[in-house]
Amino acid sequence: MVKGGILLTGGIKMPTLELKVERLERLVGKKLNIKDLEYDLQWIGLDLESIDEKENKIKVEYSPNRPDFSSPEGIARTLKGYYELELGAPTYKVSPGSLEINVDPIVNKVRPYIVGGIIRNIDLDEDEVATLMNIQEDLHWALGRDRKKVAIGVHDLDKIIPPYLYTAVKPDSCKFRALQLERFELTPAEILEEHPKGIKYAHILEGKEVYPIIFDKNNEVISFPPIINGILTMVTDETKNLFIDITGTDFRAINYTLNILSTTLADMGAKIESVKVNYNEDGKQITTPDLNLMKWTVSKKYINDYVGVNLSETEMIKCFQKVRFNAKPSKEKGMVDIWVPAYRVDIMHAVDFVEECAIGYGYFNLPTTIQEGCIGEFHPFQELCNLIRKIMIGAQYLEVVNFMLTNSERHYNFMKREYVLKDHIQILNPKSKELDTTRTQLLPGLMENLLYNRSEEKPIKIFEVGEIIELDLSTETGARQNLHLAAVTYHENSNFTEIRSLLDHLTISLGINEKIKVTPTDSPTYIEGRVGKISYNGESIGIIGEINPEVILNFNLEFPVAALEMDINKLLGKQLI
Amino acid sequence: MGIKLKQNVLEILKTLQEKDVECDASELAKEINLDYIILMSAVNDLDKENLGGFKEKYIDYLYLTEEGLNYLKKGLPSRQLINYLVKNKIKEISIAELKDKSELPDKPFYRAIQNLRRNKWIATSKATGENKVFMVADDFPNKELEVFLKTFKKKPFYDKSKLSKKEAELIEILNKRNLIQREKKTQRLIFLTPEGKKIDIRKIEILKEVSKITSEMLISGKWKNINLKPFNVSISGPRMHAGKIHPLINIINEIREIFLSMGFTEIKGPIVESAFFNFDALFQPQDHPAREMQDTFYLNNPKQSKLPEKERVEAVKATHENGGDCGSIGWGYDWSYDIAKKVVLRTHTTATTCRRLAQFYREKEKPPVKVFSIDKVFRNERLDHSHLAEFMQIEGIVIDENVTLCDLRGLLTEFYRKMGFPKIITRPSFFPYTEPSLEIAVYYEKLGEWLEMGGSGIFRPEVTYPWGIKDPTRVLAWGLGLERLVMLKYGREDIRDLYRNPIKWLREVSY
Repeated sequence: MVKGGILLTGGIKMPTLELKVERLERLVGKKLNIKDLEYDLQWIGLDLESIDEKENKIKVEYSPNRPDFSSPEGIARTLKGYYELELGAPTYKVSPGSLEINVDPIVNKVRPYIVGGIIRNIDLDEDEVATLMNIQEDLHWALGRDRKKVAIGVHDLDKIIPPYLYTAVKPDSCKFRALQLERFELTPAEILEEHPKGIKYAHILEGKEVYPIIFDKNNEVISFPPIINGILTMVTDETKNLFIDITGTDFRAINYTLNILSTTLADMGAKIESVKVNYNEDGKQITTPDLNLMKWTVSKKYINDYVGVNLSETEMIKCFQKVRFNAKPSKEKGMVDIWVPAYRVDIMHAVDFVEECAIGYGYFNLPTTIQEGCIGEFHPFQELCNLIRKIMIGAQYLEVVNFMLTNSERHYNFMKREYVLKDHIQILNPKSKELDTTRTQLLPGLMENLLYNRSEEKPIKIFEVGEIIELDLSTETGARQNLHLAAVTYHENSNFTEIRSLLDHLTISLGINEKIKVTPTDSPTYIEGRVGKISYNGESIGIIGEINPEVILNFNLEFPVAALEMDINKLLGKQLI
Repeated sequence: MGIKLKQNVLEILKTLQEKDVECDASELAKEINLDYIILMSAVNDLDKENLGGFKEKYIDYLYLTEEGLNYLKKGLPSRQLINYLVKNKIKEISIAELKDKSELPDKPFYRAIQNLRRNKWIATSKATGENKVFMVADDFPNKELEVFLKTFKKKPFYDKSKLSKKEAELIEILNKRNLIQREKKTQRLIFLTPEGKKIDIRKIEILKEVSKITSEMLISGKWKNINLKPFNVSISGPRMHAGKIHPLINIINEIREIFLSMGFTEIKGPIVESAFFNFDALFQPQDHPAREMQDTFYLNNPKQSKLPEKERVEAVKATHENGGDCGSIGWGYDWSYDIAKKVVLRTHTTATTCRRLAQFYREKEKPPVKVFSIDKVFRNERLDHSHLAEFMQIEGIVIDENVTLCDLRGLLTEFYRKMGFPKIITRPSFFPYTEPSLEIAVYYEKLGEWLEMGGSGIFRPEVTYPWGIKDPTRVLAWGLGLERLVMLKYGREDIRDLYRNPIKWLREVSY
C-alpha cells in the first residue's frame, strides 16, 4: 500500500523490531497487557506493524532518526518514562580503563576515525545475543550508510594484547585468517575478491591505495574495517569481555554508534569501561565512550509558542523528564536547561525540544485550534483541463488517465515516429526496464488503452487531458511540461469526419473556432491524405486524422481509428512549466 | 380466437419461425436492422400472446491474458527459442546462456525446453560438463497449440459453451499456463414457444397499433385516432456509453474544492526536478539512503540542472555543513554542488512546496500564504498490484506568523473532516524535514479500522531559514497519497487498475 507517511519520508524503508512482551515487562518492570501496549507505543513514536496475541509479540517500525530504538532495551527506557516509572535521563557508569589505541595518520587517506570501548562481564541469553546481532545490522544501516560511514567490530577482549594500532597498509602487504573463511590466510586485496563480505563491501575501498587495518601489540590482525574481523578475536560462548571498535568517516556518527551499543549492553547487565584513543598527528587523546549528557538551554516561551500551549515551568520540566531528558530551571531568565542522553542522536536544534515536549505532554492532550485567513484560487491550467473535460464528456467521450513513464519502443516505433535518443528524457536506472522515458504524446497511451479494452463493446471513444514532458536544456531543470488533449474513436465506421466534428465541437465550445485552422500535412502515424495540422492563431498546436493501418496493427486492433492530439497550453498563451 | 399482432411483431415472428433456433437479441437486432428496443418490445408482445419470450443466459467468454497476447505476437516460448536458435544458426548452446538470451521467466523457459525435447527438435546433454542444448531437427512444423493460438488473431475470444472437444482441450492447456482469462457476460436469448412455432402467420390479424408517433401524425391530428402501444416500463434499456470523468480525476476535483474552501491556492511545479529542490533544500543529507538510485529515478538526459541564486545555495550548503544561521548544528559534512545539480523525477511534491518558499523569499511576500498541490510523484519501483512507479500526492502548506502545532492539529482535523473522516488521531512520527512531525490515522467506517492516511509537521528551521522564513513565522505542512483513498472508495484491489483504464469499470463506476 502507498502510505501517506512513507510518502513524506521520501521512500525510506522503516526499520522494524520484534518485541516479546514478557521480555519488555522484565525490562520495564511492570506488568504489560499486549492490547494496552499496542495503544501506548504509538505515543512514543513507534508505528505498529503487526500484533501476535498468541505468541504475545508485537512488531513495530521505528524512525531511522531514532537508532536507539533498535533494541527492546532502548524502547524500554522510553516506556519507563511514558509510564512515569523512571523520570529523567538514565545514568550509565563508565569505569576508566587503561587500554589504548594508537592512530597512524596514514588512515586519513582512507578511513580517518576510530573509537572504542570495553564491555565487561557479559552474560547474554539467547534473545540478547539476537538483539546484539540485530542492533549492529540496524546501526550499520541507519548511522553507517551500509558501513560506508560507520563500521562496527566486536571482539573477544581477552584474546588480544594492547595497545592496538589503527593504521592502513598496502592491499597485499599482510595476511590473516578472516571470519567466515577461516581456512586460508588472505591478504586484504584477496579478501575483497574472494570473501563474501569482501565482495559485498569492496566498493567502499575502491580506488584507495591503502586499506585500514587494526593490529594488536604482536602485529596480529584484529580487524580489516569496514570489511571483516580476523579469526583471532572471534566471540564465542565462553567470551566474557568484549572490545568494540567503531571506525568511519564521520567522527560524530561513530561516537553515536558506540554510545548506543554500549548503553544497550549496559542495560543487559554488562559493565562499560573506557578506551583511550591517541591521534598521533596532533597529540590529541580522547576517551571513549563518552556518555556524558549533552546540555542545551532553551527558551520556555519558544517551546510554548511553537506547540501552542502555555505550560508552567514545572509542567514543562516534567514533560522532558518523561522523554528521559534531565531538565531544570536555568539560571538565565525564561530558560530551561536540558541534558540529553548520549544515545540520542536526533537532537540538532532547539526545535527538536519542541517535539520532545509535545510527546512528553502527549499529542492526544493538545488542543486543536485554527488560524483563519487567505482566499484560495485554482490553478488556471487545472481550470482549463476541467473545462475541456466537461466539453469532452458532453461529446460522449470517456476519460482515461495514463502513466507518464513509458517505453520508447511502444511510444515511438509502434507509432512509426522517429526516436532520437538524445532528444528525449532518458531515465538512468529504471528497475522496470520497460520504463525508460517519459511521454511526449498522449496518443500512444490511448492506443494501448484500446488494445487493453479491445473486446469491449464498440464504439470506444476515449480522451485524456494530461501533461507531457519535453527536453529543453535552456530551462532550469532541462525540461518543459506541456498540457495536451488527445482523443480517439474506435469502431467499424470511425473516420476523419467524425473526429473533425469533435474538434469543431471543442473549439466552438471554447470560443476559439475562428482562430483554428486545419491544413493538410504529413505524419507517418496517420494515413496520407487524411491527416491535418491544427493551427491556433497561425501557430501549429496539434494534429488530427485517421491512424495508419500499420499502427493499428502494431497495437493488435481490428477497426479503423480516428484521432486528434493538441497542445492546449498554447490556448492560454502561457508555458505550464 | 383471433390473435392480433402488429405488423412488425408479425415480421419478427416470421423471422424467428424461419430461423427455428434461439437467437441472441442484440445479434438479431443487427441482422434484421431493427432498433434493439423495438425488437424487445415486440418480443414482449409475443410473450403476452404466449408465442415467445426471452431468457437471460450467462456466458463465459475466454480471452487471452496479457501474457497470452504477448505470445500471440512473439510465438509460444518454445517457438521463440527455436526461432532464436535458427535465426542465429546455433547448433549447440548452454542452457544458461539460452535462458539469458531468451529473457523468458523460469517456468515458461523450462517448460519450453521440455516441449522441444518431447518434439525431438532439440536434445539436452551434460556430456561436455555443462548442461547444453543441441539442435537435432531441421524442420519445425507448427504444432496444434500454436495453430490454435493464432486463431485468436481473427477472433479475440471464444464462447466457452460453444467450444468443440478439441478446442476445450487446447484452451485448458493454455489456461494452465495462465494465458487465458474469462469474463462472464449476460446474453438475452429470444425463443418461440411451441405455439409460436406452429402458428400459421397468415391467420393472424394485423393490429393497427403504433409504437411511435410521427411528426405527420402530430400535425395532421391523426394521433387522436391511433392505438398507442403501451411499453413495458420496468425493463431497463440497453447500456449507453456516455462520456464520464475518470474516478481519479473526480476525487482530485473534490479534494481541490476542499482546499479552496479552506483558503488554499493551487500550485504546480516541475516534474523533472533538481536534486537541490527535491532533497538538499529539504535538509536531506547528500548520503541519505532515500537519495540512492534504487529509490529515485535519476536522469541521464538532462544530466544537470542549474542551481538557483548563489547566496541561497550557499545558505542551504551552510545548514547542511554546520547549521548556518538557524541555530542548528547541521549534518557536519562537505556539501557537494555536483550532487545537488543532479536531475531526478521528483520523488515528492514537497519539492514544489519548497519552490514556493523560494518564491516567498524572492517576491518579499507577507504571511499568511496557504497553497496546495495535487500532482504526480515518481519512485523507482517495480510495478505490481500494490506498487506503482508514479502516483499522485496531495500536499498543503501554510506559511504564517505564530502558527503552532495545535493549529496544525486543528487544520488537519478540519481537512480530514471535510474529506469524510470525522475521527482522526495525530501521533508522533518522523520526517526528515519536519519537526515536530506527526502521522495521521483516520477511522475508516466501512472497514471499522484505523488507517494511516498521511504525514505532517512543521518545516524544520534548516528548511525555512535559507529562504528568510524565520521564527515566529513557521510553515505547517501535510501530505497524503491519493491512490489508496481511491482504491478504498471504489473497492479496487489492484492499484494498476487506476491507470490501466478498464473501460468496463470506467463506464459503470458510480462516483
